[in-house]
Amino acid sequence: MESRRPEKPKAERHPNVIGESARPIYDKATFVEKIKEMMPDSELMSRLKQTFPEGEFMLRENQENNKLFVILDGYVSQFKEGDDAHTNIGMQGPGDFIGLLSFQTGEPVFTSAKASTKVTTLALDHDSFEVFLTRYPEISKTLQGLIFSNLAERYRKVVTLHVEVAELTKQLEAEKNHLKKTIKELERTRNALISQEKMATLGELTAGLAHEINNPASALLRSVDYLITTLPDMAQRASALPDTGLVRFFFEMGLKREYADTAEQRVRMKELAKKFPYIQRGKLRTMAEMDHDVLERLKPFAEKAEKEEMLQLLLDSYQSGIFMNGIRLSTARIEYLVKSLKSYSRQSGKEPEVADVREGIRETLQILGNRLKDIKVKIDFPEIPPVTCFVGELNQVWTNLIINACDAMNDVGELYLSCGLSEDKNNVWFKVADNGPGVPDKIKNRIFDSSFTTKTASQDFGLGIGLAITQSIVEKHHGTIEVHDRQGGGAEFVVTLPAER
Amino acid sequence: MSDIYIICVEDEPQVLDVVIRDLAKLEEVFPIEIAHSADEARQLISEIKEDGNRIGLAICDHIMPGDKGVDLMIEMQKDPFTEHTRKVLLTGQAGLEETIEAVNKAKLNRYISKPWKPQQILEVAVDELTTYVIEHEKELLPFMAVLDQERIQEAIRSKGYV
Repeated sequence: MESRRPEKPKAERHPNVIGESARPIYDKATFVEKIKEMMPDSELMSRLKQTFPEGEFMLRENQENNKLFVILDGYVSQFKEGDDAHTNIGMQGPGDFIGLLSFQTGEPVFTSAKASTKVTTLALDHDSFEVFLTRYPEISKTLQGLIFSNLAERYRKVVTLHVEVAELTKQLEAEKNHLKKTIKELERTRNALISQEKMATLGELTAGLAHEINNPASALLRSVDYLITTLPDMAQRASALPDTGLVRFFFEMGLKREYADTAEQRVRMKELAKKFPYIQRGKLRTMAEMDHDVLERLKPFAEKAEKEEMLQLLLDSYQSGIFMNGIRLSTARIEYLVKSLKSYSRQSGKEPEVADVREGIRETLQILGNRLKDIKVKIDFPEIPPVTCFVGELNQVWTNLIINACDAMNDVGELYLSCGLSEDKNNVWFKVADNGPGVPDKIKNRIFDSSFTTKTASQDFGLGIGLAITQSIVEKHHGTIEVHDRQGGGAEFVVTLPAER
Repeated sequence: MSDIYIICVEDEPQVLDVVIRDLAKLEEVFPIEIAHSADEARQLISEIKEDGNRIGLAICDHIMPGDKGVDLMIEMQKDPFTEHTRKVLLTGQAGLEETIEAVNKAKLNRYISKPWKPQQILEVAVDELTTYVIEHEKELLPFMAVLDQERIQEAIRSKGYV
């Protein structure tokens, strides 16, 4: 039976590294032929002949072995048996030896050997080996030579392998560096996308912010203008009085003024107009804003036309208080807005910081105030541990989720924000929910894809990759994001982040 | 003789305070009324109507809780009672589209952006009210003191009352 040859001998792979021995002193083929020739006449050889069917193990790793197999026909594969994978060592053919190492050293078998084809061998134990050597001196010289060249070949293979390993290591190192570079580039791209989306949302926010800041700015500027023109005059008029206590009182009441319902105020104004028909409307409006007690103290000056100057002074004083308070409130508003904006859009440093995420959400709400005019925001923020994070990037997450909620509700509805600690206390979760139409089941698993958007180009300033970016940021923070149906209708996004211990 | 009202619609009380203060000079002739939202404004408008008075000028913020300023103005334009009211949008932010809508559908007369310059609101109000009274009043003399005297004199001359 012709035996097939399953694999090329390994030594040929790197012919340039270590050359094949230039002259095979002892030719395997001749050796095998010789044995086969002698076998029919030798009772010893016939007795030592042992065959293995295809697939049978000749040797198993780590087992004892006291035989040396000389392959006469067929091929034997040698391999190391690993936990889950075999490592092929090579294929042995006619004239090669199996079990050489364990036979010579007495150590357990180093590599398993399995017949790849039907295999015929000469199986020598130590006794028969001795007998063999003495009885066939003409072959034994060749046998010893072959054993020696077999060992030499093994040594050559080891050296070749070393060289191969060194080369592979070099290649691997290069691959690793390449991968590192690719990962860095991917990270850069992701960060670029994050900041691009952030700029887009910022663009959208700027319009709203302009309104948020311009309102207090208007109040501030015009109040100051008013005070600049009236204060010097008021001071002069007040200094003529024996006692400025009343002026001060009305100023302080002005500072504390609370805003009344406009319809109610109109009614009061009409009543006052009937009572004091000679007083100008502008003055009546200011009087209509006053508490009952304050108004009582003003009445003595309103009832007589000749006290008009004093009435004017007290009303001016009250009005100045109002404007002063307006300045105070407006300045505080602007200050808070600017602070929020600064912290909201702060560039993330290289290192994350340990932060209270609730603060970031509150700042985001402040920035988005313009979008939330008709939205009832319900906040449930119990104490939670801080999170190691890039605050600016997480704020982008809240912005995207809140803007999405606003879009879903067409800017009218309820927004629910809550947070908490997971049961195992390892994570904190944040929920952004709305009572809009919710996310249909069939798109739930697609909404985080970067190519998926429900928005049309004109509707959205962003790139339509808001949720993809959101997910990417959350993952960068080793967290997860999920979307659910809110109980009672609407969508609920849950962001879970590792808690700082 | 019915009164010609100025109404100011603005959700921020501090802003409303300074708007009224800026317009104080006009109040001798044009009573000023305020509303904090479009809904309050609707109530105010119907009260003024019931009292038999008119609205010469509406100064309105755009971004407010509830209906937006531009929506209110469009509504006023459709209502014969407020159709001729001069309409001024006073806002820190209205997008281009909203402004175009206001101009086309509400016949918006003026746009003032926040924060405004001293006198700016008063000047705009004087200008718009002057236009209003010239178009709708027979007797213009009572308005000379607070409005644009030159334009009113010219109108009186051309109408041939003097």
